[in-house]
Amino acid sequence: MSWTLPKNRLAVLMALMLAFVGCSTAVTRMDAGEVKDLSGAWNDTDSQQVSEEMIKDVLNRTWLGEFTRTQNRQPAVIVGEVVNLSHEHINVNTFVADMERALINSDKVQFVASSTERQEIRGERKDQDLHASEATRKPMGQEKGADFMLKGTINTIIDASGKTQLRFYQVDLTLISLADNRKVWVGQKKIKKLVERSNLRF
Amino acid sequence: MAGCLAACRIALLLGTFALAGCATYSDSFGAIERNISARRYDAALQEIEKQAGTKPDLVLYLLNKGMVLRMKRDFAGSNQALEAAKTEMERLYAASVSENALSFVVNDATTSYAGDDYEQVLVHLYMALNYLELGQLNEARVEALQVDTKLREIGEKIPGSKFTEDALSRYITGMIYEELGEWSDAMIAYRKTYDAYKKYQVNYGLAMPEMLKHDLLRLAQRQGLADEVAQYREEFGIEPQREGSSAPEREGELVFVLNNGLAPIKREKIVGASTPPHSVMTDTPATYMQASPALPVFVNIALPYLESRHNKVSSARVRVSGKQTYTQIMEDIDAIAKSSLDSRMPAITARSIARAVSKVAIQQSVDRAGRNRNNDLAVELLGSLLVRVAAVATERADTRSWLTLPANVQMARLSLSPGNYTIAVDLLGADEKVVSTQEYPGIVISRKRKTYLIQHWMSD
Repeated sequence: MSWTLPKNRLAVLMALMLAFVGCSTAVTRMDAGEVKDLSGAWNDTDSQQVSEEMIKDVLNRTWLGEFTRTQNRQPAVIVGEVVNLSHEHINVNTFVADMERALINSDKVQFVASSTERQEIRGERKDQDLHASEATRKPMGQEKGADFMLKGTINTIIDASGKTQLRFYQVDLTLISLADNRKVWVGQKKIKKLVERSNLRF
Repeated sequence: MAGCLAACRIALLLGTFALAGCATYSDSFGAIERNISARRYDAALQEIEKQAGTKPDLVLYLLNKGMVLRMKRDFAGSNQALEAAKTEMERLYAASVSENALSFVVNDATTSYAGDDYEQVLVHLYMALNYLELGQLNEARVEALQVDTKLREIGEKIPGSKFTEDALSRYITGMIYEELGEWSDAMIAYRKTYDAYKKYQVNYGLAMPEMLKHDLLRLAQRQGLADEVAQYREEFGIEPQREGSSAPEREGELVFVLNNGLAPIKREKIVGASTPPHSVMTDTPATYMQASPALPVFVNIALPYLESRHNKVSSARVRVSGKQTYTQIMEDIDAIAKSSLDSRMPAITARSIARAVSKVAIQQSVDRAGRNRNNDLAVELLGSLLVRVAAVATERADTRSWLTLPANVQMARLSLSPGNYTIAVDLLGADEKVVSTQEYPGIVISRKRKTYLIQHWMSD
């Protein structure tokens, strides 16, 4: 039996050792609308797709016209909880904020502060009561009550086999009338992704 | 001199790793262990931070950091570290070509450590516990779903493996669903816990906890599963509580979790041998014997084994406003780790033997290079000697594992009326002798909610 280690194989070994030396950080600026999927998890593109779809839908439905016609004013909406029932720790604030902005800027809907925001504002009003001048002081008990509450859920179904994974996201948003618990609008966005993991890396 | 160059290059390659490999991973854990035993968490974190730069051990650095941060009760920081560990584990799902090639000539510890199967599941459990202590039930639910995905993946990967279900993770999952009012999901999780404990009984000799029996019965009754209720009543010999008298409607619950001791540590055992040169050198033995003094070829194999760590505490008693209850072992990580290593031992041994063969080849190749091209005996011997030292020194066992995990996890549950309580915990040693008593004031119990109190205990 004879064992040899040729020179070219030695060169390969040396090259492998060099591969252990890392490179410096590289940063490339991207457009916020550009699609870049890295791990297959929920990302900015998903969030943007959801907000676009929802905004388009919510402004074109009958509930808005009906409310404005019967009440002769714009509806006031409050953002409730969007419950994350998915497999991932998803930040729901991004698309909720997108929706809020689009609705307010459409000049068709008003938004009132959410319960956590209200606490802070009430604290400030209490402080004004003591310290602000008579002319600029804001009285209590003048808050605008909301007509509708926006609530929602994010659900996922994950099916995996070996290195292939099918990820299905469903975002449901509901607008509920605070006066009579009626659901006046239900928006839905479904996203499906096929994620193939690599078996090998260098 | 060309021969020396070739010889020196190989010797250098092995020598580089020999220097780095003077101590195995588990040897470096002593300082961290001393600090966490003495509850000096900041000092322990400083020690852990020293390992931050070792790329192949990145997962372990993050896991240990996450664990010590949760001992320090910095749950958000702990989740950040554990989430990073999860991402890195996911990246390491793909096998590395270069690392595996290197591990074939140097040792197993040169590959990136992605975590044993049970470690990959427990990272979700500890993140869920962090979220529960933070009171973020929905985030804990996310981890519960991830546990399910992970266990499905493991079950599919190695169908015959002993560890395809993690009972405690399943149980906590069920408790999360139940608290959220998702009864059917909770029922399914408890059933899976039941199956997992049946396997635990066989594989690790761990009995099914009493509290699970009551949970199964209560939920089966709530869901109107008459057949299942009858089956559990017969099997467990317990009666379901009558409607209306059941406490959860008015009361809250304290869930005490004790992370007891530290997980077993991997040590190294070396089996060495030297072979006389002519027994393996068959090419032109006559000229070889004349030209060169005979240096034996060294072969050694380093294998890991697990050593349990000393712990004085065997269980705990939880006392609160006149009520008391004892903890039960829910997860025996010590046994799970040992069984996992046992199942991987044949593969580890086979790899070590293959590596020993390749190191013999390198030694002989260097001998031959020296013999053929160089007549300076001193240089030739130096090359041969260097490569032997390197071959022996680089052969180290892979002693890496998540060492800040507890040896076992115990749990006690107590129904309490809503209010503010001071909880006393007696840590019991052998013969129920009290080793230490700890008091936790200001524990708030809310109606229909579970309050988690999770502690870590390490013997000094």
